[in-house]
Amino acid sequence: MSPKFNINRPKVSDDEITQHQNFDQLVERFKQQSIKKARGDESWWKNKKIRYSAVIAGVTVVCTVTYLSLFTQQKQNSISHETLTTQNTTLKNNKPKTITPFIQAPSSTWKTPYSTYKINNAKGGTIKHPSASKIKIPQNSFVDKNGKEVIGDVIIEYKEFHDAGDIIVNGIPMAYDSAGLKYNLETAGMFDIRGSQNGNAVFIKPDKTLQVELASASAEQKYNQYYLDTAARNWTYLQKDHAVELGTGKGASLQSDAKTKQKVITEKKLQALKNDIEVLVPKKSDSVAFVYTRKLQKLTKPAEPVKPVKAKPGKASFKLDGSYDEFPELSSFNNVLFEVGAENKNYNKELHEITWSDVKVSQGPQKGKNYVLTLVYRNRIEKLIVYPVLNGEEFEKAEAIYEQKFANYEAQLEKRTQEEIRLMIELKTKQAAYLAEQKKKQEEYDREKAAMQAKYDVAGQNELQSNFNNLTLNVKATRLFNVSKFGIFNSDCPHPTPTTSSLKPTFVLNEKEKLLIPDFVYLIDHSNKSVYTFDRNSGFALSYDPKYEYSLCVFKQNKMYRCSKAEFKQVTESQSKKFILTPLSDKADNFADFKKAIEI
Amino acid sequence: MAINPHFHQSNQQLNEELVIINAAKQNPEHFAALYDKYYKQIFNYVYQRLDSKDTAFDITGQVFLKALTNLQKYQFKGVPFSSWLYRIAHNEVMQLFRSQKDKRAINADIGDLRNICEENESPFFEEYIPHLKKLIQELKSEDLQLVELRFFEKRPFKEISEILEITEVNAKVRMYRIIEKLKIALSKINV
Repeated sequence: MSPKFNINRPKVSDDEITQHQNFDQLVERFKQQSIKKARGDESWWKNKKIRYSAVIAGVTVVCTVTYLSLFTQQKQNSISHETLTTQNTTLKNNKPKTITPFIQAPSSTWKTPYSTYKINNAKGGTIKHPSASKIKIPQNSFVDKNGKEVIGDVIIEYKEFHDAGDIIVNGIPMAYDSAGLKYNLETAGMFDIRGSQNGNAVFIKPDKTLQVELASASAEQKYNQYYLDTAARNWTYLQKDHAVELGTGKGASLQSDAKTKQKVITEKKLQALKNDIEVLVPKKSDSVAFVYTRKLQKLTKPAEPVKPVKAKPGKASFKLDGSYDEFPELSSFNNVLFEVGAENKNYNKELHEITWSDVKVSQGPQKGKNYVLTLVYRNRIEKLIVYPVLNGEEFEKAEAIYEQKFANYEAQLEKRTQEEIRLMIELKTKQAAYLAEQKKKQEEYDREKAAMQAKYDVAGQNELQSNFNNLTLNVKATRLFNVSKFGIFNSDCPHPTPTTSSLKPTFVLNEKEKLLIPDFVYLIDHSNKSVYTFDRNSGFALSYDPKYEYSLCVFKQNKMYRCSKAEFKQVTESQSKKFILTPLSDKADNFADFKKAIEI
Repeated sequence: MAINPHFHQSNQQLNEELVIINAAKQNPEHFAALYDKYYKQIFNYVYQRLDSKDTAFDITGQVFLKALTNLQKYQFKGVPFSSWLYRIAHNEVMQLFRSQKDKRAINADIGDLRNICEENESPFFEEYIPHLKKLIQELKSEDLQLVELRFFEKRPFKEISEILEITEVNAKVRMYRIIEKLKIALSKINV
């Protein structure tokens, strides 16, 4: 039989579906069914075999559950504070429609970032936080979710909260329920610590304890240590806290000294790195082309022999006595004559008639080809361009010598050309190698520079983080915590929740008294340095003690509004319930502005 | 393919749900949050396969009763609670069809049928509708379930595999075979 096929059947409306929802009826049916089942069970319980089997099975189940609950205890605690919601609170509500995270930051803008540290599990070590706090981690302190020892580096994430500003922006609940009595905690310092490896949570080994020396702005001894149990949605008392006083400003100055020292070390390292990089890049004088030119200059340049010229009949010439040592090109000539060139306009035969007192031969305009003959008699000086020529037999002898010398010259020239080619090849090879090396060194330089930049960035980030954390922290004491599990630890003093006065406030914006329904309301008790958190579920019902000083910090859709101490006092004294809120200026873009706005 | 926000949940949402489940294991009153959250989804799943609205409401109630009864056996496997509820709903519906075959119905929109044609690279004409209806009606029960989940309810294969308790690969292979079968059948239609 084929099933019926409906096309475009009308949908059942949400209202109709909701009308059929009847949870009470479901529970009633469930209870009746359970009773019926229990009655039915009585009959089989009378059967001995089944009864014994059930007892054995029951014992097994109990043992298994006990074992598993012990084994997985730490795993249960590992769930992030932000994501874990509590069971106990849920149990108190009859119909838990929505479960809000226990730790809920009112705005993503101001939330304190974690500082991240890397610790080798096998080695352990001490982390020095910028606030002057220390985290001492013994060797092999961490295990994974299966209880196996972690191998390699573990990332420790850590942040501190010291005042109302830190508490508000990080959404830390400060209410404390002690055996039904309501308190609110005043903090002397709080920290959140967690560990991971490759994004997976790690856990502190059951027999190991991390020691956190928390830098505190208070040296008072009235505080206790608490652990924030996100599952139970309450603080768990650990022990009485003890502050180790540092003396006024000691911690801060220690911190400052450490920072200065660190800065000097970093700058020195960077300068050394810069020098190294400069050496890496070759200077111009060492360049290969320069070396090539120098080598080329050093090569012997052969002198081309002068070709003998035969004296032309009828042409005027001079025969000079003496040697021509200064003109090596003439050395192979005997009885050389200097023929007067046609270009000499001053020449006339008369010149041959004069007995010249001094005669000089110097290099002519065409080097090696012609010469300047200077004839001197008293004040008369005649200069003639002359060409060396030879007569008859002398010319033939000279020509034979020239042929030989020219052959020798050509051989030397060839040798030099070969040498030039060899040097050019060498130059090109070296230039290619140089360019490759330069490229490599440039890359190395760029890498180093990037690494240096990254170091600077990290240093800058750490400094920013340090400044952020220590904005208002004036370290007066340290407080020792023994940490056997990750989470939020607090040095606190509980104050009973005031019951003297209460009111259900209305919030308006100062512009035309526009009504504002906040997402979060924080009542800051400046006298007791504590913060009361209210959300929509609590109806923002404020309890306060008129003898203390309060202000309000309100968040709506990530935006912060405030009501100053004076304004709060004015409203409460006038028995009014209307709080006129002032938005945080758009110019307030750092945490210092935020803290200033809430008057801490 | 549309994404079912109840199936695709963040770790935070899963953790929050787990807290409620654990609370409900201790006190059934805390099951209310899960009942409210998933009632509509489960009803729609059941009604998609039935013709009678009243029967669908009855079955839905039965699904939640079974869930509450067997809640102690529930083990968190990293997927939303809804996948467990769907499995119960699937079994309940199948059990009904075994005893009362006439209760089985197929519900689809024209758009769903067009999607089937497009998936088969075949044009869609209104004249095809009776042929398509016949083809779908003649599918084997397990093939029909896959077609319903994939084309009529637009569920991703991961979710389909969770509901039918098969692997994702198996779901894909089976769907591929069904499409091939339909393609051949569609090519033979003369209108």
